[in-house]
Amino acid sequence: MSDSKDTSAGTGRPPPADELGQLPPVANLEFKAVLLLVFMAALVIGSALYVLYARGLFESTQKLVLVSDDSEGVVVGMDLTFSGFPIGRVRRIELADDGKARIIIDVPTRDAHWLRTSSVFTLVRGLVGSTNIRAYTGLLKDPPLPDGAVREVLRGDTGAEVPKLIAAAKELIENLNSLTASEGAVAASLGNVQKLTERLNGPSGALGVLLGNEAEAKKLIATLDRTNSLLTKLDGLAAKTDTQVFGAQGVMPEARATVVQLNALLGEARTSLKKVDAVLVEAQAVGANARAATDDLGTLRGEVESSLRKVDSLINEVNRKWPFARDTEIKLP
Amino acid sequence: MISTARGISSLSLLNRRARDWLVGWWRLLYLGAMILVLALSPSSYSRPSRRVLAQHIYHNTAPNLLGFTLMCALITVVITRIVIVTAISYGLSQYALQVVIRVLVLELIPLTAAMFVALRCAIASGVELSQMRRAGALEALKQRGVDPVRHEVLPRVTAGIFSTITLAALSCVVALVMAYLAVYGFTLSGVATYTRLFGQVFNPEVTLIFVLKTLFFSLAVSLIPMASALYDSTAPRLRASAELRMLVRMFAVILLIEVLSLVGNYY
Repeated sequence: MSDSKDTSAGTGRPPPADELGQLPPVANLEFKAVLLLVFMAALVIGSALYVLYARGLFESTQKLVLVSDDSEGVVVGMDLTFSGFPIGRVRRIELADDGKARIIIDVPTRDAHWLRTSSVFTLVRGLVGSTNIRAYTGLLKDPPLPDGAVREVLRGDTGAEVPKLIAAAKELIENLNSLTASEGAVAASLGNVQKLTERLNGPSGALGVLLGNEAEAKKLIATLDRTNSLLTKLDGLAAKTDTQVFGAQGVMPEARATVVQLNALLGEARTSLKKVDAVLVEAQAVGANARAATDDLGTLRGEVESSLRKVDSLINEVNRKWPFARDTEIKLP
Repeated sequence: MISTARGISSLSLLNRRARDWLVGWWRLLYLGAMILVLALSPSSYSRPSRRVLAQHIYHNTAPNLLGFTLMCALITVVITRIVIVTAISYGLSQYALQVVIRVLVLELIPLTAAMFVALRCAIASGVELSQMRRAGALEALKQRGVDPVRHEVLPRVTAGIFSTITLAALSCVVALVMAYLAVYGFTLSGVATYTRLFGQVFNPEVTLIFVLKTLFFSLAVSLIPMASALYDSTAPRLRASAELRMLVRMFAVILLIEVLSLVGNYY
């Protein structure tokens, strides 16, 4: 108070007239006030710097663009995680010209080495909680992801799968209900099985089940009996045939003797054929001689022809020179 | 005839009340603008004025620092613990820290700081000024050619604003530290995750709304008591006292600012 009073007096300004407005005096008031000002400034500036640091303003980043057909659940500021650790932050979401969502992510340079050209990015929406963008890198020795790389993001939407699952389950349950209903297929099948069992236990047994009624089953049994008697007859027939064919006086020994005779006949025939062959060889020689004689005949014929032509020409000559038999008679019409 | 006269009188009463209400708010705005102009003009910071200002700042802020810090730390630990335990019981522990930061740092702590300053300093300053006015001290100053707004109101308003901002900033820092300690304990391993989470909560829009909210809180807390003390009628015809009316008006404004900030943050 005394400070304030002294200062007011020193500058000639009137002090506040009422003692009500006066505050108790403080030692080193100006220093303390400055200290408070500095404290407040430090708090405000420090808080502002911390906010900027927390927002990632002081770290160098590289850009990564993830393209998705749906960006639902993605918000600005959310993390891109790798093995559960945040390595990037969504800076902007925009709609591209082709109608797809472009999620622009800032990845700090110090964490960018986790992302490689072969990295895969997924956008997963859980049943509860926020959407997650995750990066998976299988080969950490691949070339690092370049700045501004554009990658497709794979979507896994649990929430979207649930309605489909419920619809499929509902359909399945409805089908089961219709199957197991009192008029359903299962009940009918069971009824049929029961009837079948009854008929199996009945007089006609399985044959009656297979053939539909008892009469048919009886027919089948009669057929079987007849087949049996037929088979017996066939058996006797076969025995007789055996005697006739393979017996001592049967067909087969006769046939064997016949074959022997045929063999002898064939041997004779072979001999005859050899003779015929020799005759043919001779005939061939004769033929060759005849061919040679024919050639000679050709030559002879040529010579005869030339001689005849000469005789003819001689006669013609003689006739020209001496007309022995000229017809001089003139015939009138 | 009598009923017509009664109706006219009630209408005129309503008219007078509406006019008083509008005039009261207009005077508040006018005083705020005047204080802003005075606060920005260098002539308000002459050496004697600086001393008076320093005195008010010191008396408004310094005695509250320790007590408010302790109270703030206690509230933070309790609320953090409640939120974390509840979140864990529902299997949502990953969202607990974000909820703590949002509820405490963004919403609750600045409001607490503003209310603390209002109850501890601003209302007392208003009452003090009101008594000076009743005692004729302000009139006397005016007659001597001294502007009472510059000499008596400006230091009090500036001190109130300063005190609110300081306590809000301090309480935010204390809340952040205590929430970290309550969740991670005395280890530095969670700092990176915590900072990242903090950055996610404090996006540019939320930060801007938070700064504006704190600023308007400080203005409301500092200006409304002064305006009430300077302009409100001291006539005994009113049922409620001037101090109570001032308190109601201040709480209404603080509530409005808080609602607007919530609308800005979550819609």
